[in-house]
Amino acid sequence: MKWEKKWIFGAMIALFLFVLPWIYDSRSTLILITQIFIFAVFAMSYDLLLGYTGIISFGHAMFFGIGAYSTGIGLMRNGETWTALLYALGITVILCLLLSHVVGMLSLRLKSHYYAMLTLAFTGLLQVGAEKWRSLTKGNDGFTFHIPEFLMDRKIFYLFSLLFMIIIFLFLYQLISSPFGKVLQAIRENERRALSLGYQVVHYKVWANVIAGVIAGLSGMVYALSLRFINTSVFAVDITLDVLLMTIIGGVGTLLGPIIGAALIETAHEMLTELADVHWLFERWIILFGLIYILVVLFFPKGIVGTWNEWMKKERWKKWNRLGL
Amino acid sequence: MAIWLNLTVNGLATGMLIFLLAVGLTLIFGLMDVLNFAHGGLFVWGAFAGIWLFARTGSFLLGLLFAVVVGLILGWFMERWIIQPVYGNHMQQILITLGVMLVLSEFIKVIWGPNQLSAPTPEWLAGSWVIGGVVLIKYRLFIILVGLLVFLLAHFLLTHTRMGLIVRAGVMNREMVQALGVNIQRVFMGVFMIGAALATLAGVLFGPYSGVIYAEMGLEYAIFAFIVVIIGGMGSVMGSAFASAIVGLSGAYVNYLLPDLSLAVNMLIMLVVLLWKPEGLFGTKGVKG
Repeated sequence: MKWEKKWIFGAMIALFLFVLPWIYDSRSTLILITQIFIFAVFAMSYDLLLGYTGIISFGHAMFFGIGAYSTGIGLMRNGETWTALLYALGITVILCLLLSHVVGMLSLRLKSHYYAMLTLAFTGLLQVGAEKWRSLTKGNDGFTFHIPEFLMDRKIFYLFSLLFMIIIFLFLYQLISSPFGKVLQAIRENERRALSLGYQVVHYKVWANVIAGVIAGLSGMVYALSLRFINTSVFAVDITLDVLLMTIIGGVGTLLGPIIGAALIETAHEMLTELADVHWLFERWIILFGLIYILVVLFFPKGIVGTWNEWMKKERWKKWNRLGL
Repeated sequence: MAIWLNLTVNGLATGMLIFLLAVGLTLIFGLMDVLNFAHGGLFVWGAFAGIWLFARTGSFLLGLLFAVVVGLILGWFMERWIIQPVYGNHMQQILITLGVMLVLSEFIKVIWGPNQLSAPTPEWLAGSWVIGGVVLIKYRLFIILVGLLVFLLAHFLLTHTRMGLIVRAGVMNREMVQALGVNIQRVFMGVFMIGAALATLAGVLFGPYSGVIYAEMGLEYAIFAFIVVIIGGMGSVMGSAFASAIVGLSGAYVNYLLPDLSLAVNMLIMLVVLLWKPEGLFGTKGVKG
């Protein structure tokens, strides 16, 4: 009963989002919501690592950036055709697969610190690389490019991103409910136990890393398509910080959490950018985010959705107790 | 020949700065399993605070001293209010120190503005000596000297004093030291503060070395320090010193031969170490998860 209600509710929200552009036609809101969809996918992929497997990455932006750059470079070099986009997709998937596999194999058999450090270092390397390899990336200035005619329309692109998010959501939902997903959660809860039960822990962790990396790469592709511009900022720590905040504030270990987190953070970004004209201190909004982030980690580690779920569970217990069951 | 000698001096100077950062990182990690991602933030704070006072008073030594004091205070504050509440929870520790890192480097921009500041070389260290046709820049030699002093002092303290004995024992087995009646908590507080002070010292020394200081340099140099700690082995001061020299020198040489690969070469060394000896060259701690 409960389960069905949840899905009907979800379907209703999805339907509402599908018809939204025709009800409320505001260009800036449409762009904002599109960004939210894209970052929601990115945050969900991050949560597969942080929330479901218990791996901390400080360089998830590297996959995002690879996706974005392969799209930008592919479309600029080969013209704005679907074939070029398909090539970019192939390159993104292959590069993210290889890189996440290498990073995972190197560090996931060691303590969690190693993975965090290694991803941070790798992303730094890629950012410097993107700055230096000017013939390919045009360095820090970045470049603009054209995208296929069909995706130029903002409404179409909005629907495309929404569909993208829903597909990834359903895919990840299936994944975490599968035996594979259950093993990941077992690793998060007690790695030694999972190991002693005979699971090849490293193998599972590496695969979680690969899946999260590829999905992050895909979200980077859509991000580049939405901006039609790219520069080295896609590899910046800010991107990783954003996605960390989205996941943690929304709720680690849930799929809904990153989506809600993405909506909150992206909206906050938008508002704070406007406020920057009012007072210069708002330009330093990272401080605010950083402080909120520290407070959330200290006092609110389950995030919005996690805390809500816990509260609901308690309420249900109380009800049962009252009924004397 | 002269160019190679110069490159060696440059590389060693860079290596010493990285060593000052890494030594705190490695000891803090060894003792309490805390990987302090905010270490780079301390580096920037040292640079700005020290250079600011230097510009005000004209005394570089006063700037150095001030940076060290700032490091001690920030270290105390971080350990007490940020690290202590999350002891024992690795995930929270790693996440929270990254947050502190960002807050620290953004506060720099609030206080000193978002632009980079120029950091002049103090007069008594400006210029260079010419010995047998080789030009040796005084300030770089000064950095190497300070780094060597810190290394020798740290080595002496760790091997010849009771405090050092406790620290070394704590790195090997924290619970056992605690069971023997040592207040390991206080030891850790001390090590954390000293580590923070060394990071700020590195920051202020870096100022005149590069000529400019900027808020983002914290993360850049923290990445070098992480690479050093991985190569040298977590918890080992000797390893950090050795790895810093390797990273500094290889950076300098490769920067001269193939400028585009200077960061990549350090990453490459790190990857080789991770594959071949994941506990690091001088590692004493277990590294398996």
